[in-house]
Amino acid sequence: MMAKNESRQPFATKSQRTRSLTNRSLYEEGFVRLRDLRVFVASLSAVVALLLACSGVLVAQAPLEPASLLKMPTDSWPTYHGDYSGRRYSTLTQINSENVKNLALAWVYRLNASQALAIIGGEGPDVPPAAANGFGPPTIKATPLMVNGVLYFSSPDHVWAVDARTGRELWHYFWKTRGGIHIGNRGVGMYGNWIYFLTPDNYFVSLDAATGRERWHHEIANVKREYFSTSAPIIIGKQVLIGVGGDSLDVPGYLESRDPESGLVIWRWYSTPRVGQPGAETWPNAESMNNGGGMPWLPGTYDPDLNLYYIGTGNPQPVLSGKGREGDNLWTCSIVALNPDTGKLVWHYQVSPHDTHDWDAAQTPVLIDGVIDGKPRKLLAQANRNGHFFVLDRTNGKHILTTTHTDSVNWTKGLNANGQPIPNPAKEASIPGVLVSPDTNGATNWPPPSFNPDTGLFYVGTSQSFSLFYLTDTDDRPEGWAAAERGVGNLGRALKAIDYKTGKVKWSRPLAIGAGAGGGPMGLLSTAGKLLFGNDGGGNFVAYDPATGKPLWHAGLGVNTSNGPETYMLDGRQYVVVGAGDTLYAFALPR
Amino acid sequence: MKAVLIVATVLISLVAAVAAQQPAPRPALAAVDPQFDRAAVDRGHEVLVSQCGFCHGSNARGGSSGPDLTRSELVQSDEGGKELSAFLRNGRPDKGMPSFDLPVDQVKDLATFLHAAIYLNANRRLYQVLDILVGDPNEGAKYFSGAGKCTTCHSTTGDLKGVGAKYDALTLQGKIMMPRGGRGEGPPKPAYMDKNAVRATVTLPTKQTVSGVLVRLTDFDVSLYDPDAKTLRSWLRNGDAPKIDVVDPLQGHIDMWTRWTDADMHNVTAYLAGLK
Repeated sequence: MMAKNESRQPFATKSQRTRSLTNRSLYEEGFVRLRDLRVFVASLSAVVALLLACSGVLVAQAPLEPASLLKMPTDSWPTYHGDYSGRRYSTLTQINSENVKNLALAWVYRLNASQALAIIGGEGPDVPPAAANGFGPPTIKATPLMVNGVLYFSSPDHVWAVDARTGRELWHYFWKTRGGIHIGNRGVGMYGNWIYFLTPDNYFVSLDAATGRERWHHEIANVKREYFSTSAPIIIGKQVLIGVGGDSLDVPGYLESRDPESGLVIWRWYSTPRVGQPGAETWPNAESMNNGGGMPWLPGTYDPDLNLYYIGTGNPQPVLSGKGREGDNLWTCSIVALNPDTGKLVWHYQVSPHDTHDWDAAQTPVLIDGVIDGKPRKLLAQANRNGHFFVLDRTNGKHILTTTHTDSVNWTKGLNANGQPIPNPAKEASIPGVLVSPDTNGATNWPPPSFNPDTGLFYVGTSQSFSLFYLTDTDDRPEGWAAAERGVGNLGRALKAIDYKTGKVKWSRPLAIGAGAGGGPMGLLSTAGKLLFGNDGGGNFVAYDPATGKPLWHAGLGVNTSNGPETYMLDGRQYVVVGAGDTLYAFALPR
Repeated sequence: MKAVLIVATVLISLVAAVAAQQPAPRPALAAVDPQFDRAAVDRGHEVLVSQCGFCHGSNARGGSSGPDLTRSELVQSDEGGKELSAFLRNGRPDKGMPSFDLPVDQVKDLATFLHAAIYLNANRRLYQVLDILVGDPNEGAKYFSGAGKCTTCHSTTGDLKGVGAKYDALTLQGKIMMPRGGRGEGPPKPAYMDKNAVRATVTLPTKQTVSGVLVRLTDFDVSLYDPDAKTLRSWLRNGDAPKIDVVDPLQGHIDMWTRWTDADMHNVTAYLAGLK
């Protein structure tokens, strides 16, 4: 599991060190009053919000109502995907294919990771443990929430609130960590006036949205077992859904529902069966399934009419060897539908039976209301890390189609009658090595795709990587990853548009090569303004024509965008906001 | 004579029996991580084998009646033998786990061994690739000059002379797959300085052409390095102008990724590894 394309950088860059020094010297030189000023500003905005709320004039200033998450709003971005569907499609048209050439920078916010003026929480020591190092400066992988004119977002151990009109920081919360892999954080969840997020050392933390002050925190998994948490909490009704991550050791995966007021567990769903449950027959014994992984490490999607929460589960354990876990290993590498009231599994579809390549199925299960063979259908589509594109009936999990979205895949013996790829055992790691495409990063990965109902196209960033897989743990009961990977190369990365009715690639745009190029998987956003926002793999933020893939506008940000772009209307002006590395950019049409 | 043979056979059997009881070889811990005292790890392993191995296996991954200790939450959560010590004093009699009255030092050593084993399971960057030379060098030679068409560019008496002495097997196999990249002497150089770097020709609107090593190509810009003038040049792009033609000198290797069988790859590796 986990997105290995998320690079580990050794240490803070020189500019970062300089910057934190600068902050410190400002602090030492008597700018401590800044903190008071911030508290004053925060209190002032709280008072203003209260006054406005009392006046009853501005409904938008009321606390976030979970019911408002049911459809894509235009004046806010209240949940990870903007709405529950995972489509990342906005009906806004102020910025459109005709005027996008004028799109200009509105503001920039560069992550302030300094503890000097931060609200500090956490259970860890003052000096972070070694495990928390090695990931470089914080990177924006979160999709910010925008509610009442404020953006809320996170990176490992940090949460920020930033004015959505100006990019000015309102508050910064810093979590002192006990450890855990600090590879990324997808963002925060919001219920009423409360913010929720997860930490790499597996705490579920709630903050007051107005001030950034902590309400409480609860431990959700044991960091000593190599669990680490990256997901963005999703709110359904009066529940907060959170999943854990981590696959360095063989530990069970689970998803929890927690109470937004107390933070206590409502239910927990394990992503592998217990003895006696249906699915247990796909494991050789209790030992293997109880340690079988399947981390639900990304946010899911929700159909309020069916009352089903859809989530993709992680890979089985041990990661790169199937020895000791013979069988399909349900419900790892599966798209599952859960009843959020009970946490009970309603249906499952396994996209990688008996995976041995780290190709989890965590990628967004996108909900499409479409037409198949002339009949309106409630569908679910996923472009999977294993190189395949799946369309299911989301009412019951029945298979509709499977295609290959990336040509280089070489690990299957075709599809079975249920549309599931049949793994070729010869492509499982061996002592002298096997050449496999894609590599463990996958043909795509966690960055959110987009579905545009106007074009009927599903957009996804892809990669045709090859790696050698060497079995290193020859024990009858291998543990951890059990094999080593050596990268070979890439046949090319591309942005692709897939017709959901046929699963065929309608257009494919090759991405940049050479210096500063990389990625492939990318966060995407499409709009009714006939625009598709993504990157070019070479450090440019790009608006593409969603019908053809032709670039219509771009901005050279220097590094590739690192999160899902979003859009909203504020004071009559449409903004497009995207993160690239340690900087958040807002674009709008000149006034 | 017969007696000598019997003694020899017994000796060999004894050696084999002893070898069979040895645990699988572990990577040299002290070399990879100073947090574990290698001597304590070895002592801890002896404690495991003598006290726990009968039920939990000689590598702690579980045995005939005892569970896997390296996957145990209690062991994984233990700090320096503290929790382990408390547990061992009482055992878990209802599940057949007797109490153990071990000296504090032995429990500490046992804990060090278990934590080191867990650390090695969890840190895949420390995994050691095993002996990969299993291919048939003769088949490799045939493939090299036959179906693999390697002789189109290479010669085992020319550029590949003695290549098996130059690289270890793992590096060699990696270079057969993709010769570009890898660290040389001194500070890292930009990718375009690689002798096998991708080359490109830019045709300007004036029909003038500029050739060089491709540094970067996007929909919006292109950069070349001119190795003769030792300069970098870049142009903005608009649609397909200026026109860019790209040639990868390693295209032959890249095309092979979809053609190799793993057996052919192992055979060619074994063949080239033998060219000392």
